[in-house]
Amino acid sequence: MQADRHARQDTEEQASWEASVSTWIDGEGEIRPEELDTPYGRQVWDTYHLIGDVLRNQDLAIKPSDFFYARVSKAIDAEPHIVAPRMLRPRGPMRLGLSGLAVAAAVASVVWVAFPYISGPGSTEPSSTQFIASAGDDPGLRDYLDAHREIAGVNPVRQASFEVSR
Amino acid sequence: MAMGFSGASTKSLPSQALNHHGAWVYRVMLLALACALVQPAWSAEPPKAVVDPALAMLQKIQDAARKLDYSGVYTYQQGGMMVSSRIVHLVDGTGERERIEMLDGAPREYLRHNETTQCLLPEKKTVLVERRRGDRFPALILGEGKAIPENYHFNQKSGLSRIAGRECSVIELLPKDGHRYGYRLCADTKTSLLLKAQTLGPQGGVIDQISFNSIQIGEKVPSAQLASSWNTKSWEVIETVMTPIDLTKSGWRIPFPAGYQAVTQVSRPMKRGQVNQLVITDGLAAISVFIEPYDTERNSPLFNGAVSSGAMNIFRTRIGEHWLTALGEVPPETVRDIAEHTEYVPLPGR
Repeated sequence: MQADRHARQDTEEQASWEASVSTWIDGEGEIRPEELDTPYGRQVWDTYHLIGDVLRNQDLAIKPSDFFYARVSKAIDAEPHIVAPRMLRPRGPMRLGLSGLAVAAAVASVVWVAFPYISGPGSTEPSSTQFIASAGDDPGLRDYLDAHREIAGVNPVRQASFEVSR
Repeated sequence: MAMGFSGASTKSLPSQALNHHGAWVYRVMLLALACALVQPAWSAEPPKAVVDPALAMLQKIQDAARKLDYSGVYTYQQGGMMVSSRIVHLVDGTGERERIEMLDGAPREYLRHNETTQCLLPEKKTVLVERRRGDRFPALILGEGKAIPENYHFNQKSGLSRIAGRECSVIELLPKDGHRYGYRLCADTKTSLLLKAQTLGPQGGVIDQISFNSIQIGEKVPSAQLASSWNTKSWEVIETVMTPIDLTKSGWRIPFPAGYQAVTQVSRPMKRGQVNQLVITDGLAAISVFIEPYDTERNSPLFNGAVSSGAMNIFRTRIGEHWLTALGEVPPETVRDIAEHTEYVPLPGR
């Protein structure tokens, strides 16, 4: 029985040593302090505690920038679509917490924001404003201007701009 | 060409000054009384007596544009472009009738009867029908304009100006923040009809302007001038079908600049297909936000960022699988901010 349990833990350990650190923090399983006494082990231990603290207290959380969400969205899009989750042992509260984080990430993955504007291939400079004599001369713009005028055609300085030749 | 309104200054008569003073005291007393009366139910509609003087003036201008008979020619200048139009406006037993005829460029006519406007496109033998209140110059306010005093400083200039042979008084509406332009107006002293309007940039320079070149006000306007010179019997009639929508409910978080409120949200057919349009206004300036499916084919070079023409600024960006185009006669940063801070969160299960 005990041997069986150890064997199972070993498999899990091989697959994801970090996951077992998570279960230790949940108060499950036997903590193996010698494994944690490495720079990486301490870092994982601290990180999981921090995650737990943030999940328990929203005040500790920071709101990531829009660009962070965009990057997450892109990264998730780049992932293979079918991911078979590994069966794990019954979940403790920490696991539930983590799956909550996963849900948050899933929600974040569909917050779409503006793509940063780039003026040409390879260029990272934002494109500059084009000044044109008459916005109504471009057929692509005309359509928008007409639609705008139709609803907002009140302002004197707004109205006639749409009335140039089509 | 003289751009400003610098005109002969007038001396204010002592009696006028006295009246002014009297009116002011009266208004303060009314205000105090109104406050005392309204206190228990502050959320109730404010009493009519406490109308903001700026708003009252602008409403007079709006009323004049809607209720007077007039005909004339006005010129509109935006950036390097200048176009003139002839306008005839008459009020009869059925309401307002208006005909605007473009005098420059391709022939174009707008025939309006109250809320219905027919746009005549002679070269296509087409009539576009629009059914909504589409006031144009010399009307001014969009909606009720209640937010105008919150967003603009009102400045009645001393002295008169002269436009199209008529005396007019100069009013300035200066923006309280960077989300809108300022306006300098000149309204007819006798009838309050708007004779000239200029859009002012952040430094006070004129960005674009519209002004009557000649005008007739009152009974002398012949109703025969309302008849179009085109026979539209065999022309195709097209009416845009607009369906109300709720962009927030469908996952769009569009941040409005301070002082702006939504006027309408519709789904409408455009040349590029079905497009969602949101219009917001602060009472004077208006911004349209268009949302449509992303399509590289139609990636016009013009849309590679920002486009500016006179006071009109356009900014387009891609959000997920959508194009978002924000435009309006507002500063470029305002349309850009809207476009760059909009978020789209598709609802689960869609």
